[in-house]
Amino acid sequence: MTGPTSPLERAEARLALILVAPALGVILLVALVPVAATLWEALHRHDLRLPWLGRPFIGVGNFAEALGDPRFRVAILHTVGFASVSVPLELALGLALALTMHSAVRLRTIVRVAALLPWAIPTVVAALVWRFMFDAQAGVLNASLRGAGLLGPTFDWFVDPLAAWVPIIAADVWKTTPFVAVLLLAGLQTIDHALYEAAGVDGASSTRQFLTITLPLLRPALIVAGAFRALDALRLFDLAYVVTGGGPGTATEPLSLFAFTALLQRLRFGYGSALSVTVFLLTFAFALVCVRMLGRSLTEERS
Amino acid sequence: MPRAVDEPPGDAKSERPRRRLPSRCGCLVLLACWGALGCRDSAATPALTFSASALGVEADVVRRQLTRYQEQHPEVRVELRVTPDAADQRHQLYVQWLNARAAEPDVLQLDTIWTAEFAAAGWIRPLDPFAPDVDDFFPAAVAANRWRGVLYALPWFVDAGVLYWRTDLLDTAPGSLAELRASARRMTEAGSTRFGLVWQGARYEGLVTVFLEHLGAFGGGILDAGGRVIVDEPAAVGALTFMRDAIWADGFVPASVLTWQEEQVRFAFQNGQAAFMRNWPYAWALLQDPSRSRVAGRVAVAPFPAGDGGHPTAALGGAELAISAHSAHPRLAWELVAFLAAPEQMLERARLAAQLPARRSLYDNPALALALPMPADEARRVLEAAIPRPVTPVYSELSEILQVRLHRALSRQQEPAQALHDAAVEIRALVERSGLSPEDDNRGTVRP
Repeated sequence: MTGPTSPLERAEARLALILVAPALGVILLVALVPVAATLWEALHRHDLRLPWLGRPFIGVGNFAEALGDPRFRVAILHTVGFASVSVPLELALGLALALTMHSAVRLRTIVRVAALLPWAIPTVVAALVWRFMFDAQAGVLNASLRGAGLLGPTFDWFVDPLAAWVPIIAADVWKTTPFVAVLLLAGLQTIDHALYEAAGVDGASSTRQFLTITLPLLRPALIVAGAFRALDALRLFDLAYVVTGGGPGTATEPLSLFAFTALLQRLRFGYGSALSVTVFLLTFAFALVCVRMLGRSLTEERS
Repeated sequence: MPRAVDEPPGDAKSERPRRRLPSRCGCLVLLACWGALGCRDSAATPALTFSASALGVEADVVRRQLTRYQEQHPEVRVELRVTPDAADQRHQLYVQWLNARAAEPDVLQLDTIWTAEFAAAGWIRPLDPFAPDVDDFFPAAVAANRWRGVLYALPWFVDAGVLYWRTDLLDTAPGSLAELRASARRMTEAGSTRFGLVWQGARYEGLVTVFLEHLGAFGGGILDAGGRVIVDEPAAVGALTFMRDAIWADGFVPASVLTWQEEQVRFAFQNGQAAFMRNWPYAWALLQDPSRSRVAGRVAVAPFPAGDGGHPTAALGGAELAISAHSAHPRLAWELVAFLAAPEQMLERARLAAQLPARRSLYDNPALALALPMPADEARRVLEAAIPRPVTPVYSELSEILQVRLHRALSRQQEPAQALHDAAVEIRALVERSGLSPEDDNRGTVRP
């Protein structure tokens, strides 16, 4: 394409710019300005509780403090660890659910609506329910596990640094598997049924059909679902906040919760902004990788 | 519009516009007059705003007292600004208002641990110019309200951690921590109660108050009189080790306390599951209500006992009244503060909301003995032993550091000595960052 040459084309280009300007302005205002403001804030020492220190510019001081803070490093580990456990679980269960929904002949609508229900429940409500279920005193789970002799009488999920992850991951898997399933179901429906018929004629077993037809053709949908879920998991906040509050100690504290604590509980606006920027960058970098992967898988498919 | 109300419901439709018009006009005229009057009124009489927690019975008391003040002082207009009841949320809101130099509210209800922070930030006014008489207040409550030797708030009501014990299981309150441990273990082993002792162990401010009481019992502290960090010293390690062992080695405190705040602790004790409970005095009236408590009439209160090398200690809590530095009417605000902190108002608050008066002399008053659900001499005994949490502008962050470290040690992720060492390092870094020099004295100073 060459640039506009005739006066008419130039006038049209100008008009296009004018027409697009309001939309661009809005995007700038709602997306870029807050991010830029947070970044600017992150370069200052700004502690609402210590107003006598003012708001001096300290460059990357906040980021340096974060890197030197073991709680920050552990929070990153928690975030990544949570994503790498919960997302594969959700993909596996989501796939199973999608296959079930796909093959359901009767009551199709009801099955699909029922499967989607957890997704429709607000996260905080779901989190509270799971918290109650795992409660050591009144919880349904402990009572039945104790009854079966699987748990000691004093065992408390929320007091053990590893066990405390179980209710968080369980709640996340329960809540978001339907979302994955719906995405995968859409993928399944695009697969040409003739392929299975041909494979059947050739005598391929259903396992073989699944491995050589379903899975490869479902790859784009799997990548999209996995990317969505991973991006969500990296921003994990509400579940951890409600289910464990990040405890015991800070054993289940993800990055977003740490940033929230620094920003809104300790009122360290500069440091908290630096942490928020880090969360943003982490998610952004991951999103880029996902887009790349998706693009590659699509081009492969075409060639 | 009484006419509109009187209309018969059936044929109202067609007639309504005609009938309503005159009354509507009348209303408008009236409104205009009232508005004009109101404007003139508010220009002449200054408005005082008071922000307080206003839930349930507490709100009733505040409204009742403000109304009375209003009647006695027609020259001002008093308004209540309702703020969130959760301390953290109210704190956040205050910090935002005061940072923005909002002129409202004039009078603030503070938690006892905020006074130093707000004073150092220059958000609240020194009260010394008003020459308040503070001799009658509990000394610990006044000490918590001083910053660099200057009084910044007046105690409104006080609170102190106490030990509740079951009179049907024991003859006397435990005289020492060793006795408490022995009888708590005996109870759980004999199966008289499911748990021995329950306290607030969730990762929040309440855990720090429980720790403070154990610290005092072992003769330790968080900061010394000179403001230096001493929370990593052997006495403190001993206190934290006692708390951890109570859960994991001796087993008389359930591990679930690490997720419990005041109410969960009260439910456990109220259902007869525990022999001892550490809690605030508010629980007394609830425990004595036979319609919801299984231990009504079988409970008594004692100071939390001492261990080796310490003395019985209660963490001081409660609410304070302070005047915003941005208030346009400090003199009037002070009069409202003085009124709310006067003996009559405190007595009424004790009677209606069961909140303990901050004035010592009231504990000799027979009216208080009647008004208070808890025996007055017992209450005073506990309050005399109360100590404030560290009086420092960085208390909130100091507490957050401690909460995390204590919780890690209690959930066995760290050894008590290591956890407290780390806490001390972090607190020293915090003091360093804040520009407060610890060397000066317990009043601390802000470096220029």
